[in-house]
Amino acid sequence: MLVVAEADADLEGALVDWRRFRRQKRTADIHWIDALYRAYLTAIVGLVAVVFTSSVVGDALLSTSEISRVLADGPGWLGGLAAFAVALGLRSGSRGGPLALERTEVRHVLLAPVDRTAALRAPAIRQLRFLSFVGLVVGGIAGDLAARRMTGSAAAWVGTSALAGLTLVGLCVGAALVAAGTRLPRWIASAIGLVLLGSAVADGVGAIGVSPTASFGDLVLAPLRFHVLGLLPVVGAVVLLASGLSLLGRISLEAAERRSTLVGQLRFAATLQDLRTVIVLRRQLAMELPRLRPWVRLRVRGTGPLPVFVRGLRGLLRWPAARVARLVLLAGLVGLCLRGVWSGTTPLVVLAGIASFIAGLDSVEPLAQEVDHPSRRDATPLEASAIHLRHIPVAVLAQLLVGGIAVAVASAPGHARVPFGVALVALVPLALGGLGGALVSVLASPSSVSGGWSLAPPEAQGMQLAFRMVWPPSIAILGAAPVAFARRAYEQGSPAVEGASRIVPVVLVVFALICGWVRVRDDIGAWFKSQMEMANAKT
Amino acid sequence: MPRPDVPEPVLVADQASKAYADLVALEPLDLQISAGTMVALVGHNGSGKSTFLRLAAGLLELTAGEITIAGSPAGSSDARAALSFLPDEPVLYDDLSVREHLAYVAALHGVHASGEDFDELIERVGLTARADDLPARFSRGLRQKTSIALGVVRPFDLLMVDEPFVGLDAPGKNALLGILDELHGHGKAIVVATHDPGFVERVDRCIALHDGTVVHDGPATPADVLRLVGA
Repeated sequence: MLVVAEADADLEGALVDWRRFRRQKRTADIHWIDALYRAYLTAIVGLVAVVFTSSVVGDALLSTSEISRVLADGPGWLGGLAAFAVALGLRSGSRGGPLALERTEVRHVLLAPVDRTAALRAPAIRQLRFLSFVGLVVGGIAGDLAARRMTGSAAAWVGTSALAGLTLVGLCVGAALVAAGTRLPRWIASAIGLVLLGSAVADGVGAIGVSPTASFGDLVLAPLRFHVLGLLPVVGAVVLLASGLSLLGRISLEAAERRSTLVGQLRFAATLQDLRTVIVLRRQLAMELPRLRPWVRLRVRGTGPLPVFVRGLRGLLRWPAARVARLVLLAGLVGLCLRGVWSGTTPLVVLAGIASFIAGLDSVEPLAQEVDHPSRRDATPLEASAIHLRHIPVAVLAQLLVGGIAVAVASAPGHARVPFGVALVALVPLALGGLGGALVSVLASPSSVSGGWSLAPPEAQGMQLAFRMVWPPSIAILGAAPVAFARRAYEQGSPAVEGASRIVPVVLVVFALICGWVRVRDDIGAWFKSQMEMANAKT
Repeated sequence: MPRPDVPEPVLVADQASKAYADLVALEPLDLQISAGTMVALVGHNGSGKSTFLRLAAGLLELTAGEITIAGSPAGSSDARAALSFLPDEPVLYDDLSVREHLAYVAALHGVHASGEDFDELIERVGLTARADDLPARFSRGLRQKTSIALGVVRPFDLLMVDEPFVGLDAPGKNALLGILDELHGHGKAIVVATHDPGFVERVDRCIALHDGTVVHDGPATPADVLRLVGA
């Protein structure tokens, strides 16, 4: 029973041998047909993406003035990519990323007296190798597309862009490894990310002279104009990666284990387009727990009227500070987008709608809790749909608060200010649009391989999947449209408020229809199921 | 100068505490466990038993205070070599058999063992017929037996076991109790977190936790346990 360890045992060597043994077992289990099929699917998806992107980009060469504009504004906006990569890495690292280890590896390898840096180096390099390949390929394709429209040799564009793709991966993974190894607090990681992104946007719009990440733009645009500063992000990525790899042994085991459990589920939920599960798992990953003490304590005085509404209100009052901050930021983003729409950049209405939709997914949380716990909901004598419907008012209240902040930001004094009257008209559609999209997303169950659609031809199934994905944010985008309509009316010499008001009834009707759908969707589902059963019985 | 009749503590907790944001999982805890001691850690659900074990194993990070294992900070390489932790939920590889699991874990701890050594242990936990099967296909009880074997196939000074009897059949439970008694007899320190009041009759010391605070530390009877933490 009693065992002793050998004093000179090569633990790291044993780990390498056993990992090789496991890899050989796994490789032996993969059938070559499966491997070929995966490669085939990847190639098809890649080809479709390339063809689609090239059709969007076009082939016409830019004029000299347009090239000058790219050289003037490009570094700032392209620097946004580097800022995003670093922000993403810092965020991931502060939550225990970027490695997603098997739980067994955490328990058996990282709890053994093996050198953790050595034990984690192999999985880190494996992840880096895969992402580097993706970065190289995507960068190279982007370079090829750019070469069609810019002056300079195609080889230079492809080579430089591939290097830029590789650099982005290095910045992202390196920042994540450094953040994880130094146990960077989440708030600091978020603050640095926000500063980098904010300064890149400010540089892009010309509000500041240069941002910290603008040199990445110099790297990308090197075929047009070589600047030695363009090498700075490459050096930065190498330094971050080297530092991160040397800090591997200092990662938090607590975060690594939490991540090991959740990341696999998160990927699976994302594959099934199960947005609700993705949200719940993401919250667990970020340790976003409801507050023990609510912001305002509503005393429990026995049963009272409107139990569902009050239950929803109690849930809202326990929102963690991080969620409140996220909603305020999203509202601010919506407001800024509406200013952009008013100043003539109409496509920003899409971004405003998507931000409003994401906010809506938080606003419907009390209803989503009922969906997450169907057995508790179904144990009541009320119909599920009736309970869902009664949750909508509190979600409207939350979404109106988000909309209120957005409208305040949109109509605040300054450049591209949306007229207050227009902003006021936009408030209700904005709130209801985001909420309507979120209601559809939360209540529509994830796609099933055994449902009626499984018998449909692949083309129809693909369209259905695309519709399921696009429809909810589309409702939110419709809700953000009044400012675009107001702008159009203004340009045509009509009163802007009147233009905005024109779309409001449409949004209200769509929202009313969604509420109706919430109430009768179970009946429709039951009817459809009975019809399918009857049809199957006849055949 | 240390007194020769007082064994060195293998675990020392000094104001060790754990909180998740505004939720306190373990109040500041002072504790010493000496070599050769068998300890029962009892408490109701959410009392902090598993939190304490995971903190000692290095799976959780302390909010404040310190825990040392055999003189080294919890989670350090030396502490990991000295502490074997059996979680309440077995964590096993999908692609390794029971025998391969044992060989792997033993190798990671620098143990040179023969096939016969593994066979003996496998027989001890009642898995002889399934030694070359994948635990991924096992029932909860069989997975638990595999986990027990993994916990003792490696050297340690302190064995910490979280809810070991859940899912075990009577022979499995007897085998585990036999192993624990044998290890105790060899001077190993053992801490078992359990809801089983009867287990306290086998131990030298019973520590009861209530809402993250120690409410009893010393000998106890099953009746005491029921009184302290409820049925």
